[in-house]
Amino acid sequence: MRPLRSACALVLATTMLTGVAAAQDARLAARLSPGARADVEAVLDSARRDGLPVEPIVDRALEGATKGADDTRIVAAVRRLAADLAAARDAFGPGVADAEIAAGASALRAGARGQDLASLRTARPGQSVTVAAAVLTDLVALGVPPDTATAAVLALAARADDATYLAFRRNVERDVALGATPVAALTYRLVTEGTAQLGDALGPSTPASPGRPRKP
Amino acid sequence: MSDPNGMLDRGIEVLREPVVLDHQIDARVMAAIAGLPTPARSGPFLRAGDWLIRPRPIRIRPAVALAAAAALVVAVVGLRERTEPPPSLQTTPTATAAREAPTVRFMLVAPSATTVSLVGDFNDWAADATPMEGTVTDGLWTVTVPLQPGRYRYAFLVDGATWVPDPDAPRALDDDFGRPNSVLTIGGT
Amino acid sequence: MVDRNHTADADHIRRVLAGDSGAFAGLVARYRDRLGRYAVRMLGNRADAEDAVQETFVRAYRSLGRCTDPDRFGAWVFGILVNRCRTIGAQRARRERVQIADESAVLRAAVQDDPAGRQAVREAITAALAKVAPMLREAFLLKFVEELSYEEMADVTGASVPALKMRVLRARTELQRLLGDVTDV
Repeated sequence: MRPLRSACALVLATTMLTGVAAAQDARLAARLSPGARADVEAVLDSARRDGLPVEPIVDRALEGATKGADDTRIVAAVRRLAADLAAARDAFGPGVADAEIAAGASALRAGARGQDLASLRTARPGQSVTVAAAVLTDLVALGVPPDTATAAVLALAARADDATYLAFRRNVERDVALGATPVAALTYRLVTEGTAQLGDALGPSTPASPGRPRKP
Repeated sequence: MSDPNGMLDRGIEVLREPVVLDHQIDARVMAAIAGLPTPARSGPFLRAGDWLIRPRPIRIRPAVALAAAAALVVAVVGLRERTEPPPSLQTTPTATAAREAPTVRFMLVAPSATTVSLVGDFNDWAADATPMEGTVTDGLWTVTVPLQPGRYRYAFLVDGATWVPDPDAPRALDDDFGRPNSVLTIGGT
Repeated sequence: MVDRNHTADADHIRRVLAGDSGAFAGLVARYRDRLGRYAVRMLGNRADAEDAVQETFVRAYRSLGRCTDPDRFGAWVFGILVNRCRTIGAQRARRERVQIADESAVLRAAVQDDPAGRQAVREAITAALAKVAPMLREAFLLKFVEELSYEEMADVTGASVPALKMRVLRARTELQRLLGDVTDV
């Protein structure tokens, strides 16, 4: 009993070195099997050392646990996510926030390339790329090919704020839901975004009269 | 002869010609409604009509003006049939403190569900952390959650067993566990 | 939408909501052909248009309690129709991928045979409309055939006025191009 107790004390002391790590351990301990937990924590340690955000990794493990996935699957998912996070951070370069790295990882998984993430960051100096990268991912989820989605997001990057990006994505979603193909919806919305002034220039709306309609 | 505009004008003229449909439509419509209950005046929420094939969430978020960031709205109203204009993006600032997390209201129509909970990144994917409240009459389940800006994967868990993504929200593309999720993005960082 | 007999409409609606379902027939008779015109132009064939109109009326009956302004029943039911046409159009488009071989030749022939003829114009515009994307076609029809204002169009479609103006512009451009292809003989 005595050796075991000191072993426990040692483990406890080690665990309490970082409060956050302890908190994460508690959540994982409650939900994962010991084997899965060990593997996941190894990934977390490595991510922490590399300066990557760990919360998304913990969330992914907890998601797997709640959904009843087996250990192999949980560990594979966690490893894949960690790799994506590292790749996103490498693509963005230094000085990028956790939320941006996480969004970048999703974008990579959706099919964006590292150079696209780098271009996105260049196009928005001093601004967060979280929402832009998230919208890129969402557009791909809607069915827009990755290259096209990337081009659209980059086209907007210079002048769109977060609200504009989200409104843009919402509009494309709605158009797709109402029957447009994803690329057509994207193109129309891009045109609308870019030439809103042209629309206003068409003048106040009046009912069309028979005969020659008004020339735009 | 090349006068496409003139051709278009003439086309419009032709298109405006009246159309007469088969009057049998009248009889078919009246037969279809014969068995229906008298329509009742109802509120703005959806009723579980025959066009609601699957649980449909509606998410409305009252916008909050964050001091340092743009006011943000994540409003998706999942009406396939629109009998009134969809709500415009709400951008009225409310009198909340700058640091307070904006709240998002999740809604799901699931008439035959016994329990529905919201499960996602923001509650550690705990199946019972965020139960939703349902009304018996129209199967409408809701919950309001404060959320800091960020990107959240989530889904609805119906009767503790069925995972239901949000059909009107973007899907999460990384589906590692065989059950699709939705993603909610709240800007403001 | 100009509802010249909107008082009569309101009467019908009131009676239906009070339990007299037969009163709905009056509304059906009044709006059937007007809805039919849009549906035929939008969907390109009568069978689909009849389905759309029939379903629209049934849905209108079901949700009649939510028609907040009985004086504007016409605009309200029109909104339901526009939605029905979108759904039916999307369903049918997915199922039927019918390609007419060398249709431009057909159009050219129609115009050549009777260049000033109404029938030729009808065929040309119908074919051109069918080739335009549904959202553009919808905006074009609402603006130039149904003659709605942009505000009314926004109510009915849920799109913004600038977006609708853009769609109408693109529709006109596209139709001119298609019709120009025909008349450039």
